[in-house]
Amino acid sequence: MGKLVGVWYGLAAIVLTIIWFVVSQIVDLPIIPSPVKVVENLADIFMQYIAIHSLYSLLRILAGLVLAVAIGLPMGVLMGYFPATDKFLAPIVYLTYPVPKIALLPILMLLFGVGELSKIVMIFLIIVFQVVVAVRDGIRAIPTETYYPLYSLGASFKDIFFEVLWPASLPKFITAIRVALATAISVLFFTETFGTQYGMGYFIMDAWLRVNYLEMYSGIVVLSLLGLVLFTTIDFIEKYTCDWQYKN
Amino acid sequence: MINIENLSVKYKSDSDIYTALSGINLTIPDGGTLAVIGPSGCGKSTLLKVIAGLITEYDGKIHINGEELNPKKQTIGFMPQNYGLLPWRTVYDNIRLGMKIKRAPELLDRKMLKKLMRQLGIEGLGHRYPTELSGGQQQRVALARVFALQPDVLLMDEPFSALDAITREEMQDIFLRLWHRFNVSTILVTHYVEEALYLGQRIAILSANSGDISTILDNPLFGGKDIRQKPEFFEMSLRLRTTIKKDWKQAWEN
Repeated sequence: MGKLVGVWYGLAAIVLTIIWFVVSQIVDLPIIPSPVKVVENLADIFMQYIAIHSLYSLLRILAGLVLAVAIGLPMGVLMGYFPATDKFLAPIVYLTYPVPKIALLPILMLLFGVGELSKIVMIFLIIVFQVVVAVRDGIRAIPTETYYPLYSLGASFKDIFFEVLWPASLPKFITAIRVALATAISVLFFTETFGTQYGMGYFIMDAWLRVNYLEMYSGIVVLSLLGLVLFTTIDFIEKYTCDWQYKN
Repeated sequence: MINIENLSVKYKSDSDIYTALSGINLTIPDGGTLAVIGPSGCGKSTLLKVIAGLITEYDGKIHINGEELNPKKQTIGFMPQNYGLLPWRTVYDNIRLGMKIKRAPELLDRKMLKKLMRQLGIEGLGHRYPTELSGGQQQRVALARVFALQPDVLLMDEPFSALDAITREEMQDIFLRLWHRFNVSTILVTHYVEEALYLGQRIAILSANSGDISTILDNPLFGGKDIRQKPEFFEMSLRLRTTIKKDWKQAWEN
């Protein structure tokens, strides 16, 4: 079945490329270049110009993600497992969750400078809430009886965490990261148009200002592929670590 | 040896105090079995939860092998009604879970574990997940888990109630075989008179709403060969039923 899924994805890629090609031929303007030309251009300039930008973008995403997990996961566990903590923290989380994080960018840039830190904090802010809420809800959904055999064995909190809390909330945790990453990538694009000379956002906007549409499209393709790689990696991790969910 | 002295449990809500158990006295000798029988809501599960260390607010004394009850010190094997298997762990990991938590990998070597699984007829299922198993198979895994621990006390909450009648009788036989081999002091809670008669060396009847034990009787039929087919078994279960009904009726009238 795994191979078949690959075939379908390949077909979808071909279909999308054909649509792109047809549209480019009909419109016949430099703003929509043919995919063939874009791929040719990409092959020419990727190692020389784009690779370093994509690496910057990837590292910013990973740094924000690691930070969000490091803070969001313990918070979600505390809120999900200890109702007293939840009573205290839930209002704070719920009042700050709906604030559109991108609107905070000017403040973040004033606080953390226009460099790396404000960009990473931005991504962190977007992912962390999703992680907290998902982990908390995942733990809350565990039936109380699940803990009984462990409690009666005198299990420590460490045991409870690794045997129950972590594996039970892992699927929701991974889903949250998948959802949040999509937003994080688009926000990253936006933040990379400020105060940096590196990153896919900078590359794409720079190409646009230079009216070099081939390079701009090359950048868009790379940014999309970056997202695709992240998603498939997450899917792969989920399939591997949560395989019990798919058995019935 | 398990010693329960004057055990009482009260649940407090905002406006009310509800007595779930009152003045329970019980002794289970080493390697003995006790069946507690009672209607729904009589506090059977509460009794088991207290001994399992899940309810810590109680009055009275509980001693296991002369020591005060403490899940960290004693090994308590608790088998909940729904088997208590972790859906994200394979059968093999589920069985080993208890040993892992007790930090006692030496308790059962692989060979012993394999043998235990073979005796329970689950040797080929080690890498499956609980959701891939039938109810009867899950029950066997749960039994393997508690017996692999060689606990000081084994607690079973309505152990075989979710199984169909034929599978239930089969599981009862399997339980008795393992119990004979490992000699584990066992308390089981049930609402089936036949199950209490078949598995309990002694049978305690919990009152319907006062939360105390009205009768404790020694079960002369326990351990006999094929007793389920014998007329004495029917007679005894009939007598037990009458006692229980009378007791519960009395309880309601009070």
